[in-house]
Amino acid sequence: MFKLNLKIALRNLFKNKIYAAINIGGLAIGLTAFVLMLLYINHEESYDTWDSALKNVYQIRERHSFFTPDNKEHLQESNESRVGSLIRHKVPQVIAVTKVDPDWDFRTGYSVRVGNADPITVNRMKDSDSSFFHVFKYRFLQGSESNALIAPKSVVLKQSLAKKIFGEGNVLGKVIKVAVWQGDKGMDLTVTGVVEDPQTPETAGFTAIMRTGNKDKDPVNPTNNNYCQVYARVNEGTDPELLNQTLKRVYTDYKKSTAPLKKIEYKSYFADGKYLQLKAIPLAEVHGNRPFELSWLEKLKPVIAICVFLLLVSIINFVNMATAQSVQRAKEVGVKKVMGAYKQQLIAQFLLECALQSIVALFLSVILIEVLLPSFNTQFHVDLSFWHNPHLFNMLLQLFGLFTLVTLLAGFYPAWILSNYDPASVLKGNYSGSLKGIILRNVLVVFQFIISVTFIIAISVMHLQTSYLNNKDLGFERSNLINIRAGYDQDLADKIKRIPGVQYVATTTQVMGNAFNVPEEIQYNGNKISLNTVTISMDALSALGVKLLKGRVFSREYKQDTINTVVLNEAAAKLIDKNPVGKSYKIADEHKMLNFQIIGVIKDYHNEGFDKEVLPTLYKVTTLGGTSSTNNLIVRLNSDKNAAIIEKIKAEWKHNYPDFLMEYTTLDSAFDKVLENNKRFISMIVLFSIVSVSLSLLGLFALSTFVAKRRTKEIAMRKILGASNIQIVGLLNKTFLVLVIIANLISWPVAYIVVKKWLNGFAYRIDLPLYPFFLATVVSIIIAVLTVSIQARRAALANPVKALKYE
Amino acid sequence: MIQLTNIEKYYANKGVKNYVLRLVTTTINQGEFVSIMGPSGAGKSTLLNIIGMLEEPTYGTYNFLGEDVTSLNERKRIELYRNHIGFVFQAYHLIDEMTVYENIEAPLLYKKVGSSERASRIADLLDRFNIVAKKDLFPNQLSGGQQQLVGIARALAAQPSIILADEPTGNLQSAQAEEIMALFKKLNQEDGITIIQVTHSEKNAQYGNRILHIADGIVKEDVAVIA
Repeated sequence: MFKLNLKIALRNLFKNKIYAAINIGGLAIGLTAFVLMLLYINHEESYDTWDSALKNVYQIRERHSFFTPDNKEHLQESNESRVGSLIRHKVPQVIAVTKVDPDWDFRTGYSVRVGNADPITVNRMKDSDSSFFHVFKYRFLQGSESNALIAPKSVVLKQSLAKKIFGEGNVLGKVIKVAVWQGDKGMDLTVTGVVEDPQTPETAGFTAIMRTGNKDKDPVNPTNNNYCQVYARVNEGTDPELLNQTLKRVYTDYKKSTAPLKKIEYKSYFADGKYLQLKAIPLAEVHGNRPFELSWLEKLKPVIAICVFLLLVSIINFVNMATAQSVQRAKEVGVKKVMGAYKQQLIAQFLLECALQSIVALFLSVILIEVLLPSFNTQFHVDLSFWHNPHLFNMLLQLFGLFTLVTLLAGFYPAWILSNYDPASVLKGNYSGSLKGIILRNVLVVFQFIISVTFIIAISVMHLQTSYLNNKDLGFERSNLINIRAGYDQDLADKIKRIPGVQYVATTTQVMGNAFNVPEEIQYNGNKISLNTVTISMDALSALGVKLLKGRVFSREYKQDTINTVVLNEAAAKLIDKNPVGKSYKIADEHKMLNFQIIGVIKDYHNEGFDKEVLPTLYKVTTLGGTSSTNNLIVRLNSDKNAAIIEKIKAEWKHNYPDFLMEYTTLDSAFDKVLENNKRFISMIVLFSIVSVSLSLLGLFALSTFVAKRRTKEIAMRKILGASNIQIVGLLNKTFLVLVIIANLISWPVAYIVVKKWLNGFAYRIDLPLYPFFLATVVSIIIAVLTVSIQARRAALANPVKALKYE
Repeated sequence: MIQLTNIEKYYANKGVKNYVLRLVTTTINQGEFVSIMGPSGAGKSTLLNIIGMLEEPTYGTYNFLGEDVTSLNERKRIELYRNHIGFVFQAYHLIDEMTVYENIEAPLLYKKVGSSERASRIADLLDRFNIVAKKDLFPNQLSGGQQQLVGIARALAAQPSIILADEPTGNLQSAQAEEIMALFKKLNQEDGITIIQVTHSEKNAQYGNRILHIADGIVKEDVAVIA
């Protein structure tokens, strides 16, 4: 029986090649998107699963306001370094604690030299203490966990890095020279171990763990703080709830006892709704729950929704095509029923046919995935593979589940409709029973079109918003501006400045690509106002090319500028005074008040993504009231031979810092990077929209074929009565136009809500325009009419005699 | 074998009953060859459908093989189809995606006949109807008469005790039609298979041994054919 059914299924597929191709192809596309998404989710879920013992490892997070984008307190991954020894000694559940560098996004690499070879840049080398491998149990290929970091100035390499630097073979005892910043003479570190690269990604990832000695101690002065990440391994079976209670108690005691040393009142920790918090997060939850960013699941949600929709659209197509074709199979059903087939047997037969198509689609999608994975990987900065997936078995299980689900979703309704045919009537050639399905099919087509129209509206709004952002005035000149990853060094700055074609050399803590916010509270006319402080060098504002609104910017001509003057941005001026130039404010510094004079107001300029508003900011050159610095050496060029000038700058650099490679970005690329995530999202939406719209059109095509077939007799009669071909095409189109218009009406509010929500993610956005809505309607109607007309024309041109010959 | 008592069939439309069959009472015995005749719309096919349990009567009782089958559950009805009833249609209704061989095999598969038994029965039927050479062809490669032969072979495959044929020669030329009717007569006389056919043709009706004349849903005449 099974064999015969399989044969019939195959013969049917070959007989209706085009339909089968549309069905299977559509399903394969839907499945491909879905499986890619599954792969990605599996990848994200596999974070920190490389060792079962990691369930006893916790990341410690402390609540503080240091280094936050909005200058407010947050629970952060970086902790004051003293937290490490605190929990090591005061929390009984803890077996081992390690302090380690966080991942810096701007400063990407250290310079590594072996002997006299040229330095190479190595990313993600992290400084830690002797306990790192007691917390994270990596498998040692050379050296051992107990001896590796026992002496200072030692380093443990990942196998991949060891290969890159030394090639194969024993590397224990070899020495590498690591320079952390450009002026660094470098530190010789002895390789004491090589660990295996784990199969799954790690939150505390690294290429090498160094023990320079810096993480072994805390700053001597209690008012100075170092920040680092802290991880702890606890006893097997520790209750996380209890652990966190202990942490809270220990941390509060600690803050209470150290407040006098830091010359802070303990009460001030609780001022303005602030509070103390130290929390242990199980490592498994860390990746899905990073501070200051949406979790991967949140970020992925729109993509998941789109993939599910796409799969749904292709399944709907499948259902539509299958039910539309069911008329052809009605006779078979009738005959089989009178031959003694049970209904279940028929359902099983049609499900088998559906399963056959799904399995072909699944194979196709696996092929498609293999083809698409490389570009998918580069798009999403991941390294996924299908066949070499560490969770291949799991993946295959998921695919099998997906296959079953798709088969049931796509196959059950047509199978049920078919097996319900009444043999007495279908064997008489009466298919009126098949009319029942038409309402459902119409609903499905409307649903497909809602998705498509929503996509079209979304694309056009996204396009408008993107071009708005691309053309937005950033408030500074981004072309001909480069940013070298280095601190400001007067000697080098002077040398670079002497190169012809270089206009300004400056530093600032706030530029697109690397902005560093320092909160400060000022007192102006008795009001306390919180502003963001940016420390710059004299030429920075000129170098950036910001627009001056009132007063002046810093200049060497004014001695006062190195003493106590500041420039405000527009946002800050709005908070303070309509016309602040020439006025003064005060800040409290330990026991005395410091006085600053405002000399100018500049237009707000962007230094972060467009999802964030420009903070009210004051700019100062003076060291009064404290300074900060980051690795931004910005150089304004004023010639058209930038490449040659940059070569000259590199030469100067090499002269000054032979141990360190110069790294720089242009502000143009920093700007592109700000838009990158957005761009990626949009290109994905565009791709999915095209697929979804074409699938919907295929669905419509199938339905119109079905309807044309069903109305063959009516069309023939009308022709005999004198209807023209155009009238007949119009007649068939009318039914579908109603569906498309209904779909449009429903999708307008849906699209409005979705698009509005997307736009709200931008601090700078366009007003939601109306014309994308009309555009989508017009486009959807035109393509629907074209699609239906292909079938309608065929029906209209058919010879009426043929249709009326057989009763 | 078949006992119909006061069978009525009507469709209610806005309170008006449109009768298709009215008070049909008749008995058909094992081994009879009955032709149902009458003008279009007389209710011939409805009567055959009721006998074949494809339709249920609105009123009346129907005994098949001594069992009341007036309203039967699907499972039991299918059991009857598998073991006792073979259908032959005017439009042949062979399954287009199956070869001649597979079409004949299908009912045996539903009846769960073993594979060697199946092969011998099909070989026997193919041989008997002279269609051995056609066994791997698809229905659309055959002439109408050949298709109807396959249709009859399929109906016989499950070795039914009764064959219900709705205008079996309606789509055939007269020479082919005679061949089919002769075959029916032979099956009836040599194998003792009960046959009930609906026909328009007086000539075809003469092959049987009894004619039911129906008009306006009423059995007007029930006559025996004198050979």
